[in-house]
Amino acid sequence: MIDFSVYGEQTPHISGYKCLKCGTIFYPAPMVCKGCDAHRDPVTGKHWEQFDLEGPCKLLTWTRVWNLPEGFNRKFLMFGMVEFPNGLRASGRIECVGDPVIGATMEASVIEADERPGAPVKVFQFS
Amino acid sequence: MSARIGIVGIGHCRFGNSSEYDLVDVIAYSANDAFRDAGGLHLRKEVDQVLVGNMAAGMFNHQTSVASALISRMDMEPCPAELVENGPASGASAIRLGYMAIASGMADVVLVAAGEVMRVVSGWEATNIVATMAHTEAEYNMGLTLPGFAGMFTRLYMEKYGMTERDLALVAVKDHDNGAKNIYSHVQLPVTIEAIADGENANVVNNYVAEPLRMYSTCPISDGSAAVILVNMDSPKAKLFPKKPIRIAGIASATDTHCVHNRKDPLVLDAVRISAEKAYKMAGVGPKDISLAELHDAFVIFELLNSEEVGFFERGKSFLGVRNRETEIGGRIPINTSGGLKAKGHPVGATGVSQVVELVRQLRGEAEEGRQVKDPKYGMAVNFGGFGNNVVTTILAKD
Ligand SMILES: [Zn+2]
Repeated sequence: MIDFSVYGEQTPHISGYKCLKCGTIFYPAPMVCKGCDAHRDPVTGKHWEQFDLEGPCKLLTWTRVWNLPEGFNRKFLMFGMVEFPNGLRASGRIECVGDPVIGATMEASVIEADERPGAPVKVFQFS
Repeated sequence: MSARIGIVGIGHCRFGNSSEYDLVDVIAYSANDAFRDAGGLHLRKEVDQVLVGNMAAGMFNHQTSVASALISRMDMEPCPAELVENGPASGASAIRLGYMAIASGMADVVLVAAGEVMRVVSGWEATNIVATMAHTEAEYNMGLTLPGFAGMFTRLYMEKYGMTERDLALVAVKDHDNGAKNIYSHVQLPVTIEAIADGENANVVNNYVAEPLRMYSTCPISDGSAAVILVNMDSPKAKLFPKKPIRIAGIASATDTHCVHNRKDPLVLDAVRISAEKAYKMAGVGPKDISLAELHDAFVIFELLNSEEVGFFERGKSFLGVRNRETEIGGRIPINTSGGLKAKGHPVGATGVSQVVELVRQLRGEAEEGRQVKDPKYGMAVNFGGFGNNVVTTILAKD
């Protein structure tokens, strides 16, 4: 049995995935490449490359949610959808003062969040 | 020639709070109601297949194997029974699989019963459970919920097409008007545009849920059940059912990307459009033939987007149709005559069957006074699973 926990990272990252056969990129990870039908083995990762998805991105839309799910002891949270320069898109949280602007350039980073029970999870933060 | 499959019995409970009742009893209530409507409870012995629609009994009620439990509760052993889980489209998916069971020749009579009891948990927890349909790593873990996605959708649509928050409120007013007249509705109180948009206290009455979506743009959390009995209209068993069948003229489903951000245009709901196109083709009709439609409006924006994808309105124009009162009863294309998910309620697994029950009531001419559509011929239901990633469209015909 493989114990994945021994590979735990210090700084949280979220990966994009690149099929090395045809170059198509993905987020989140697929199990088959839509560009060339290559399969991805999640254990060996052979013929696929992982890269950090972070940095500048463009805000596509956003919302401020007031009825948060169980475990979120905050009045509200802002969420947004962004597009990276490589064309990949992602959804995540927004940290900013006031209302964000659609089309604005934001900076994507990754934090660990522990509002819900269980192990902390990786979360995109756009600011 | 494809099979002629019709609905000969319908059952429904009043949606609302059934949290003091057992989920299986709640589903059995509508199943019993459907048999009584079909001609008597003895007809349950004629059923060849039971399909149960439910989304999350394991999480809401700590109950699994709901189909097996229903069989025993209804004294229907040894009838085959399976659970169909397809998120909020579980109900319509169960009907579609029932149709396929009959079309395959393996069954002549199918009971489809669907239900959900959600109010046993807090609103926060219910929102969290429903959010588990999203992509675990890329959506759910971010803290995103269905209202969150709907808020982002609504903002995009407003930016692109010039719709206002008042337009959203107009849809809610229309839905609550219809829901107030429906004996099965969770919310049976009409609301005015003054109360939720124009008046000085509107921002308090109609507070933000996920900006720019407000409370009156969002369905309530409801419990409830609905059931239909499907029959092969050309089998000898059809003669056992006295009521004239309402025929399933078209039923189709389609899927879309699990992650909302992976769609080329987040405002385009391919699964709705494709499932509707397939259902139209199967029924041999088009958008202009539809007399009324139940469109999955867990959030008001869905009613608008769905009405565009199925061809009732051009893209970006549906809210203008609402302003012109085209979707009211008596309008060009009445939408959500039941009150929709907005007013009737949305017990997630039950909704798809509930929509079809409403169409049958309308096509039979049995809807309550004030919300009966005049002489309808075809009714359409769109049941939306996931965030538009698994959609079933059904077209019923009064022959
Ligand atoms: Zn490839």
